[in-house]
Amino acid sequence: MIALDEVSHEWGEFCLKNVTFSVDRGEYFVILGPTGAGKTLILETIAGLHVPREGHIFLDGKDATDLPPEKRNIGLVYQDYSLFPHMTVEENIAFGLKMRKIAKKEVEINVQSIMDSVGITHLKTRFPSTLSGGEQQRVALARALVIDPAILLLDEPLSALDPRTRESLREELKRIHKVRGMTTIHVTHDQTEALSLADQIAVILEGEVIQVDTSFKVFNEPVNERIAAFVGVENVIKGKIVSNKDGVVLVETGKYRIHALSNLVEGEVNVFIRPESIIISEVRLKSSARNSIKGKITNITQLGATFRIRMDNGLTALVTNQAIEDLGLGVGKTVYASFKATAIHMTRR
Amino acid sequence: MSITKTLSGAKRQRLSLIFLVVGSLLVLFTLFVLFNMVFRQLVLDLNGFLEAVNDPLVISSILLTLYASFLATLIAVVLGTPLAYVLARHDFFGKNVVESVIDVPVIIPHSVAGIALYALLQSRSAVGTAFYNLGIVFEDSLWGIVVAMLFVSTPFYVNAAREGFQSINPRIERVARTLGASQWQAFYKVTLPLAIRHLFSGAVMAWARGISEFGAVIMIAFYPMIAPVLIYYRFTTQGLKGSQPVAVLLILVCFVVFMVLRLSTKYWERRK
Amino acid sequence: MRKISENGLTKVQSVMIGAVIVIALVGGFWYYWSTSTGKVVLKVFCAGSLTLPLEEIKVKFETDHVNVEVQIEPSGSVAAVQKITESDKLADVLASADFTLIPSMMMPDYADWCIRFAKNRMVLAYTDNSRYADEINSTNWHEILRRIDVKWAFSNPNMDPCGYRTPMVIQLAELEYGDNMIFDNLVVNNSAITVTEEDGIYQITTPEELNPDTARLKIRDKSVELVSMLQEGGIDYAWEYMSVAKQHNLNYLELPETIDLSTVTYTETYKKVKVQTTSENIVGKPIVYGVTVPTNALNRELGEQFVIYLINEYGQNVFLDMGQPPIVPAKTENMDNIPESLRTYVTE
Repeated sequence: MIALDEVSHEWGEFCLKNVTFSVDRGEYFVILGPTGAGKTLILETIAGLHVPREGHIFLDGKDATDLPPEKRNIGLVYQDYSLFPHMTVEENIAFGLKMRKIAKKEVEINVQSIMDSVGITHLKTRFPSTLSGGEQQRVALARALVIDPAILLLDEPLSALDPRTRESLREELKRIHKVRGMTTIHVTHDQTEALSLADQIAVILEGEVIQVDTSFKVFNEPVNERIAAFVGVENVIKGKIVSNKDGVVLVETGKYRIHALSNLVEGEVNVFIRPESIIISEVRLKSSARNSIKGKITNITQLGATFRIRMDNGLTALVTNQAIEDLGLGVGKTVYASFKATAIHMTRR
Repeated sequence: MSITKTLSGAKRQRLSLIFLVVGSLLVLFTLFVLFNMVFRQLVLDLNGFLEAVNDPLVISSILLTLYASFLATLIAVVLGTPLAYVLARHDFFGKNVVESVIDVPVIIPHSVAGIALYALLQSRSAVGTAFYNLGIVFEDSLWGIVVAMLFVSTPFYVNAAREGFQSINPRIERVARTLGASQWQAFYKVTLPLAIRHLFSGAVMAWARGISEFGAVIMIAFYPMIAPVLIYYRFTTQGLKGSQPVAVLLILVCFVVFMVLRLSTKYWERRK
Repeated sequence: MRKISENGLTKVQSVMIGAVIVIALVGGFWYYWSTSTGKVVLKVFCAGSLTLPLEEIKVKFETDHVNVEVQIEPSGSVAAVQKITESDKLADVLASADFTLIPSMMMPDYADWCIRFAKNRMVLAYTDNSRYADEINSTNWHEILRRIDVKWAFSNPNMDPCGYRTPMVIQLAELEYGDNMIFDNLVVNNSAITVTEEDGIYQITTPEELNPDTARLKIRDKSVELVSMLQEGGIDYAWEYMSVAKQHNLNYLELPETIDLSTVTYTETYKKVKVQTTSENIVGKPIVYGVTVPTNALNRELGEQFVIYLINEYGQNVFLDMGQPPIVPAKTENMDNIPESLRTYVTE
């Protein structure tokens, strides 16, 4: 559906170098990378707002590199929403339809329907400056969706929101994608977002797309150290929620159970634990850490000042040299890996 | 009770109050200069003033001044808006030169500007002859007045318009493009409405600047006499007594026009 | 809420654009209607001090020549000549407060002849409110001007003949009153103007930067500004032409004819002072107004017709009333180039 071929471009302090990847129809494609990596530039290039210095962009099989943005049937949502300040919510949403010279009656109907489906009908005569971040985001989304684009481009849509709104909008995005099945490219620096939404992830660092893979592969089989370093999450464990009591969740991974904190009540989940959060001990710890899992050390690697310890229970921990010495750690030794419930990230799978 | 409340509220706004006091010195300064002149004319020589008001030459001179500056501003807006947009959005080789050239009329002594304009456009020059063949003469005509006013007031409009456009995030224009707007539509439906306040304010400034131009106009078109020239002529022949009534009338007319413009802008804003 | 019509123009926008177009068109029509008189324009460049008499003559001329509009452009005499010789402007009549400017600056490229039609005298103008107004007379004026609380002024010698004539009068005063400190005290000490003497000839120099000591002496580009300053009370005494003082109802002090540049009899005396301005060296001579029709005038015959009104009996009376004694009959240096229509009015 979308294909980039050796796209290179510079704009201001940002650049793209030989970017090549493709997105299938209906796919939810996430571009993951740190700030300044060129993520917005990629989106704007796909949207046609820049003509790349080198390379080609194919939309639906045809070379669209020189096609102006107004002819590309693409919806774009910026991180700062970029609503038209001089128009009401209703007029903002109607804008794209008006540009397509759609009859007034039809415009009204479509606008009403998208406002209902995104839940902002009560805001329709308001001006953007009077809306909260979450409300603005929904309006921006509605404005992009109402024109029924073939492709939806989202530039860090959730980054400026508070955690609660972020979670609910994230679910919203998922739902919309499921219902409409449109090709979506979502750009973010947040790994949780990437993992929970993506069919495929492209990791971009300093203008180069390094790896394009499924989420699991990106986080568990990073292609090189840069990605691993960027991703920095060494423990990604699949599990299923068994119970949720007062926000404390019990997750069954097959090998052991994990206590975590979450609002989720049931379902398949991914459990993320940073290796630094894991405490290694010779005996089971009696501490505030809810989780203490037994395992045999399978691998110890030195990473500068720290050592990475891999265990046969699937966990990876990061410890200091001192710890190794004090505890007399070595391959084959049986130890306990402890970590707090609060040290865990969890998302629906 | 309300006094104490006002006082405590005032304490919180202390910086603004200090600024207000300092700034009011400037306002008072302008006010006193004008008030002194207007007051003296209306109170000490009301007859002279009424004579001026009833003098057809004075009336037509003032109307001509306002109209010529209006035309000059119109040209500045039509040609200057696209220029300002390009300057706001793009960097290009020689941009600094262009921006400096636009600002030159502000620095140049007015009579120098007037002579330069006359030398270029008088009907026996190369350029002037071409216009002459089209039936356009610059010396001693409305065209000459408009050109002189345009020369000095352009920087005011272009700079204001450029800042207006710069204040608009280009992202908004880009979003409009993705929603199906052509470049022109994005400009017309999104950028322009958002910048209109700056553009209007710049146009008013340009218009005001044109009205007050004397040195450049007198070099290329002494006649028909715009108000500043008439004031000078009357000063030459009749001194202050003959020229002040015209000056006061001009001040009052301009003051009223500007008040009307400001009020209608406020009204317009409120309706949105 | 605002109504948005199909093609995007709101009602307000349409009204505004309509208003702009209407104003532009209406104004245009009004302008063309009021200026398309079909009249021939007779352009007169004149010295500021001639504006009032010329305005009177203009009215009569326009009454007698119904299809003519006389446009008078007053300025300093030098500036008026320079408009023609340097800025490439066209005039049908050029009237200068110093007739010598015509032969020295305009001939032979821009003028063939020059007619002297009226004269003037330098006076010290003042008002009833001037300091020592009740004391001043034609013998003590230079002492009064030296007083520390007296403010006086003259116009810019580099731009206005009235300006360069003032130092001449003051220098000549030294000879008249036998006091060789007058010029130093009044002029040299208060400005950048200097004087040197050689063989009885006084060469005064007026540089571009005059630097007057503004607590005592003010210098203005146009002599007519001095009138306002007097009327306002900003200065006590100003050096002006008698005509200007009379026309503006100011008090004025007549000075000895040997120094006030008014009388042909004392031409030799006047020659003893010279002023080097930024453009030329001018020898003292009686103040005589000169007029010509520039060679590149658009309406030469009409210009000559207008000149007649300056030098016939009607014109002579106008100038007499204005305090600018006419030269009767008008004189010229050389009759050869005087146009036919003017010959009967002029002698050598």
